Amino acid sequence: MNKYFGFIIALIATQNNLFAAEAGMPQLDPKYWASQAFWLILVFTILYISIAKFYLPKIKNNLDTRENRIKDDLEDANKFKELSESKLKEYEKILDDAKKEVIKIHIESKNTLDKDIKTKKETIEKEIEKEIVKAQKEMSDLKKNSLKDVQKISENIASNIIETISGDKLNESSIKATVEDISKKNLGKYL
Amino acid sequence: MASNPMQQFSVHKIGPEIKIAGIDLSFTNASLFMVISASIILLFLFLGTKEKKIVPNKIQLIAEMFYTFVAKMISDTAGSKAKPYFPFIFSLFMFVLFCNMVGMLPYSFTVTSHIIVTLIMALFIFIAVTLIGFAKHGFKYLSIFVPSGVPAVLLPLITVIEIISYLSRPVSLSVRLFANMMAGHTMLKVFGGFVISLGLLGGWLPLGFSIALTGLEILVAFLQAYVFAILTCIYLNDALNLHH
Repeated sequence: MNKYFGFIIALIATQNNLFAAEAGMPQLDPKYWASQAFWLILVFTILYISIAKFYLPKIKNNLDTRENRIKDDLEDANKFKELSESKLKEYEKILDDAKKEVIKIHIESKNTLDKDIKTKKETIEKEIEKEIVKAQKEMSDLKKNSLKDVQKISENIASNIIETISGDKLNESSIKATVEDISKKNLGKYL
Repeated sequence: MASNPMQQFSVHKIGPEIKIAGIDLSFTNASLFMVISASIILLFLFLGTKEKKIVPNKIQLIAEMFYTFVAKMISDTAGSKAKPYFPFIFSLFMFVLFCNMVGMLPYSFTVTSHIIVTLIMALFIFIAVTLIGFAKHGFKYLSIFVPSGVPAVLLPLITVIEIISYLSRPVSLSVRLFANMMAGHTMLKVFGGFVISLGLLGGWLPLGFSIALTGLEILVAFLQAYVFAILTCIYLNDALNLHH
């Protein structure tokens, strides 16, 4: 058993080159290992340098630019939102102020109007009172005057009647005194 | 030997033989597809960054999505300290992804299906991460092998396991990618061979499998690139932020 095993090992060892290259795995054939290693290192080094020096910074730059742009845009949007909110508040405040002003003006004008009406009413009332007083005075004057006139007329009438009836001229002063006396007696009836 | 499913992985030189100091550094089909993948990445990034629009067009959007995808992956796994390594992780992810994707095209060559390629990348990451760890923390970085909160009895065992797991990182990282890519492509080839050998009558079943596997392989191509990048981030995280 051991002999056979040794024989097989020896066979594989001697036939190894052929085995690996022809029927086995070409990967285990060391003929081009150095070449593969050399070209791998060369190609990968070039690839690494061009990626690290040129392409990755470019991509990173672009990604950063985009990120910054998005951040800036978001900041701007927030700023504008705040601005619009403050503007809205301002607008509401203005509206409130205006409403208050309207109410104030309304009350004020009402007050002034009331005042005006009151003063005008008062002056008119005063004037009316004055007029009434004046009229009363005039009336009383007129009454007095009319009384005198009535006395005079009655004197005249009395003297005329006496003259006509008796044909005599009576003393004027006596007639006057009589009329006065009578009229004083009867004045209370009319005044 | 067109029916040999491993034929697709064979490397042959294109053009003249280049020998420097006795080492064969000839331009091969593997080198060609490395150059093609890198050129596609550079062209894509060139188109993606040509116009700097606030509202991006499609290709610019895709380039920016790649950027934010990798940036998020790094900040989630390794934190803000890993920012200087972002270009490297990004290049690594893009390179692995595009190599895997270009490998999905018929008649193309999958660069990442070769252990030497993935091993070099993994070894570079391993050595770089170790150097970063020692540069940042000095000999305190060795405390990564001594997890906190472990009973003293278990500590020697755990430390040995931690050292082994740390040292196996480049192997697991490289073999994971290489094996996934190789297995997927081999399987596709095998099913492709079945389509031919079973002919018009029986070939439809493996053809359907082939189509389904192609979809799966595209997923694997993306997933392995993602896993490769995120594991790099996790290793970087261990080196930058000592959690233990």
